[in-house]
Amino acid sequence: MAEDIKYSEEELVLSLQRRDQKAFSYLYDNYAGALNGIICRMVEESQLAEDILQEAFLKIWNNFSQYDSSKGRLFTWMINLTRNLTIDTLRSKGYKKQQKISRDENSVSNYHDKNAGADKFDTLGLRKQVANLKPEQKSIIDLAYFNGYTQEEISKEMGIPLGTVKTRMRSAIMELRKMLEYN
Amino acid sequence: MEIKDIISSGLLELYVLGMASEQEADEVTSLAKKYPEVAAEIAAIESGLQTYAMMHVVEPRSSTKEKIFSAINTTSQTNGAGKVVSISSFWKYAAAASIILLVGSAILNVIYYDKYKIADKNYAAAVIEKNNVRDQLASLEESNKEMKNDMGVIQSKYSEPVTLRGQADAPEAAAKIFWMKNTTGEVYIDPSNLPEPPSGMQYQFWGFVDGKPVDGGLIVFTKKGDKYRIQKMKTFGKAEAFAVTLETEGGHPQPEGKLFVMGKM
Repeated sequence: MAEDIKYSEEELVLSLQRRDQKAFSYLYDNYAGALNGIICRMVEESQLAEDILQEAFLKIWNNFSQYDSSKGRLFTWMINLTRNLTIDTLRSKGYKKQQKISRDENSVSNYHDKNAGADKFDTLGLRKQVANLKPEQKSIIDLAYFNGYTQEEISKEMGIPLGTVKTRMRSAIMELRKMLEYN
Repeated sequence: MEIKDIISSGLLELYVLGMASEQEADEVTSLAKKYPEVAAEIAAIESGLQTYAMMHVVEPRSSTKEKIFSAINTTSQTNGAGKVVSISSFWKYAAAASIILLVGSAILNVIYYDKYKIADKNYAAAVIEKNNVRDQLASLEESNKEMKNDMGVIQSKYSEPVTLRGQADAPEAAAKIFWMKNTTGEVYIDPSNLPEPPSGMQYQFWGFVDGKPVDGGLIVFTKKGDKYRIQKMKTFGKAEAFAVTLETEGGHPQPEGKLFVMGKM
């Protein structure tokens, strides 16, 4: 779909509150891939992943009044919604969270190889930077961000005390931010 | 806690990741409103993670978007006021099939309701029949029990039978009593050979103690249409004779009416 209009985040939110389908289309074009990326990290079956993506966007559309911009960015809300929906769906089907994680240790590059046309960013340069993240820093971000692990689950998975999950998360994300800024 | 400490604690990261508890999240929200540094830090974390997510894009199938839009349009039309909706032929068949099923089910309802009514009627009749039988059985049981009591009185080795013979005013009348003379002193009377009392009149039973008549109670002449019933009268420890007079209803402390039957010990 052609992107005639560029929305600022504020405009996008206002338009979606007015239930503007053009804005919703823009939202989909710009963020469906990222949300789908998260779903595909957790869900193996492609049909189920597609169903979840559809449901996520229906929820975003139907429950848009629940989005509160004072609590964070639209993208943060969408990604948290999508992650929770995916976890709930998997749980209702009796899956466990860790299903795909082991296979995706080096998934930044893997996923991009599969999705050559997906780049709206200059991700090539970014990827080089992020590749410098220490494996444990990348893991802690991925487990939380892409797999929806709780603090307890991360503590168990990574063999670190529960009390240090927060500080490790902080330093890993700080490191990530630094790398992205340098780009 | 100072703002710097909050920023460096990692709580804001957990907040953005949706990993903070509800209480922590509320705290962070109010801190962000109060302190621009906190809000800025949250925005930076969000933006970093968003960029990271954008590096992991997996493009969905191109058909997915259409499916989503057709779903939201179906929903909004259901909510909206009477737009004409084009239905796929599947749904047309589905609707037709459901109408056929509905009609079929309505017909079955009528048939089964009729059957139900007949069955219900039969059931009600059966219940009435059952109740009749039960009542008959109960009355048979009762009369059987009374009969047994009567037989018990007659057969008791302690009961002394006394025949009361018809007197001048009623030579044809007769009655029998059974007196547990040497045990309880109970007196039973079988009034079946007394003529039916005229209306407003009742037979009264008397015992003669030391030459004087003592009230022995009123005789119930019919009981459930059955007058041949042995019944218990008042108890006499001693008596020289027993008699029955015809008195006005309710009886009297002393005999006033005609003497019908009498028997001396």
